[in-house]
Amino acid sequence: MSSDVVVELDGVRKCFGPRVIFDDVSLSVHRSEVVAVIGPSGAGKSTLIRCINQLNTFEKGVIRVLGHEVYGTEEGRPPLRRDDLRRLRTEIGMVFQTFNLFPHLSVMKNVMLAPQRVKGRSEAEAAAQAQELLEMIGLSHRKDAYPRQLSGGEQQRVAICRALAMEPEVMLFDEPTSMLDPELVGEVLAAIRRLAVDGMTMILVTHEMMFAKEIADTVVVVADGGIAEMGPAKEVLSTPKTERARSFLERVLLHTGGDTGPQAAASEGGFDAASGGFDDPTLSWSREVDEKGLR
Amino acid sequence: MTVQLASILGLWGSYLPSFMRGLVITMEITGLGLAVAVVLGAILAGFKLSKFKALRVIATVYVDIIRSIPVLVLLFLAYYGLGQLGLTLSGIASATAALGAFYAALLCEIFRGGVQGVERGQREAADALGLGRVSGFVRVILPQAVLRILPPSTNQLSNIIKDSSLVVTIGVADLMARSYEASATTFEPMDMFVLAGLIYMALYLVIARAIGRWELNVQRRRG
Ligand SMILES: Nc1ncnc2c1ncn2[C@@H]1O[C@H](COP(=O)(O)OP(=O)(O)OP(=O)(O)O)[C@@H](O)[C@H]1O
Ligand SMILES: [Mg+2]
Repeated sequence: MSSDVVVELDGVRKCFGPRVIFDDVSLSVHRSEVVAVIGPSGAGKSTLIRCINQLNTFEKGVIRVLGHEVYGTEEGRPPLRRDDLRRLRTEIGMVFQTFNLFPHLSVMKNVMLAPQRVKGRSEAEAAAQAQELLEMIGLSHRKDAYPRQLSGGEQQRVAICRALAMEPEVMLFDEPTSMLDPELVGEVLAAIRRLAVDGMTMILVTHEMMFAKEIADTVVVVADGGIAEMGPAKEVLSTPKTERARSFLERVLLHTGGDTGPQAAASEGGFDAASGGFDDPTLSWSREVDEKGLR
Repeated sequence: MTVQLASILGLWGSYLPSFMRGLVITMEITGLGLAVAVVLGAILAGFKLSKFKALRVIATVYVDIIRSIPVLVLLFLAYYGLGQLGLTLSGIASATAALGAFYAALLCEIFRGGVQGVERGQREAADALGLGRVSGFVRVILPQAVLRILPPSTNQLSNIIKDSSLVVTIGVADLMARSYEASATTFEPMDMFVLAGLIYMALYLVIARAIGRWELNVQRRRG
C-alpha cells in the first residue's frame, strides 16, 4: 500500500444472504482524491461505502484504511476487535442521505458529542471547535437550535460539521443531497466543494452528475455486481468506454433530457465531449434523477 | 340535601387521617413495586435485545409466564407460598415482590419496544462517529427511547397503583384496607369507598400530570 493511499479495497465481495451484491471490487483512494460513485439504484453504491466503515460487513477481500485492515468474514481471520473497529471509524467521517442528526441534542451538542465522548475533549475545547466548524459552514447563528427546527439543507450541513469534528482522514457521503428540496441542494454542495478544495479525501455517492464532473477526480460506475468502469471523472462521464457505463449514463441523460426540453433529448444522451458533455444542461435535471432515486 | 352532604363531609373528615396513613402505605407499595419492576424490566429488556440466545429465551419465558398469572396469585405465592418454603415475607415485601415481578414483565416489553423504535440511522450515526456501545446507548439511543417509553409506562403506573389495593387480602393497612374497615364500622360503604376511589384517582392524576408536564417540557426543548 503506497504511502498516500488512504482507502484501499482489494477483491471485496458483499452478499446479503445468498445474494451477491458485488464481487471482486478493488479500488484505491489517494490522499486528497475525490471519488464519485455513481450507478443505477440498487447497484450497491451505499453498501460499498458502508463496508468501508463497517456499517456493513463483507464476505471476501480486504479493506485498508490508513493503518487499519479489515478482512472479509469468510477470509478466516479473527474478527476485528471492538476497540480497533472504533479506532477505524474515528478515521472516517460519514454523511448520510437522511442526515441522522441526534434529535434530542442541539446543533452545538450534536457536533460536540463525539469529540467529547470518543476523543476525551473537554467541554470548552469541544465547544470552541464546534463553534469554528459551524462558522465555517455558515451556521453558527443556529447553534442552539434543535435539528427539527432546521431546514434539510441546514441539517445536512450540521451533519457534515459533526463528522468533521472528529477530524477524519476521509469522508464518505451517501447521496447527501437526494433528500433535499432543489433550492437547498446548492448550499450542501458548496460545503462539500469547500472540503474538496481544502484537500479532504472523499468518497461521494451521488446522482448529481454535474457536481461529480466538477469536483471528482475519479468516477466509479457501480453496476451489475461490480465496478463497471472507473477512471478520470471527465473521461468516464463524457466518453465512457464500457457498454454498461454508457447505457447507464445514457439513461440518466435521456430521462432527464426528456424532462428538461427538446434540445437536451435531441442530443442523444449528450455525453459526447464535443457538445460540452454534461456542462450545458441546467442543474435541474440531475436533481430530478435524485428525486427518482428516493423511491 | 345539604344536611346529607354535610354529614358525608363530616364522616370523611373524621376518617381522613386514617385514610391518609393508608395512602402512605399504598404509595410505599406502589413505589417499591414500581422500582423493582423498572429495574427488573430493564434487565429483562436487555436480555431480550441481547445477541445471546439463552438470555433472550430466559426473558421471553419469564415474560410469557408471569404476565399470564393474576397479580393476586403472585401475591399469595409470595406471602403464603414462600412462607411455606421457610421464606417469610412481610405483607409489604410480598406486595413489592408480586407487583415488581408482574409489572417487570409488562415494562420489559415497553422498554424493548422503545429502544427498538429508535430509528436505525441513529445507531448507525453513533457507530460511524466511533461512539462505543455504552456511550452510543446512553447518549444517543436512551434519551430518544425514554420519550417513547414514558406514555405507556405511565399507563402501567396507574395499574400498579390500583393493583396495590390487593394487599387488603393479606392484612396490610393500605388505603383499601382502611376504607374497608371504615365502611364496616360506619355501615356507610358507599361514602367510604367513594372517598377511597377519589383518593386513588387524585394520586394517579397528580403523578401522571407531573410526568406529562416533564415530557412536554422535554419535547418542547427539543423543538
Ligand atoms: N440490510 C439489507 N439486507 C438485505 N438486502 C439489502 C440490505 N441493504 C441493501 N440491500 C440490497 O442490496 C442492494 C444494494 O443496495 P444499496 O442500498 O447499496 O444500493 P444503492 O446503489 O445505494 O441504491 P440507491 O441508489 O437506491 O441508494 C439492493 O438490492 C438492496 O435491496
Ligand atoms: Mg444508496
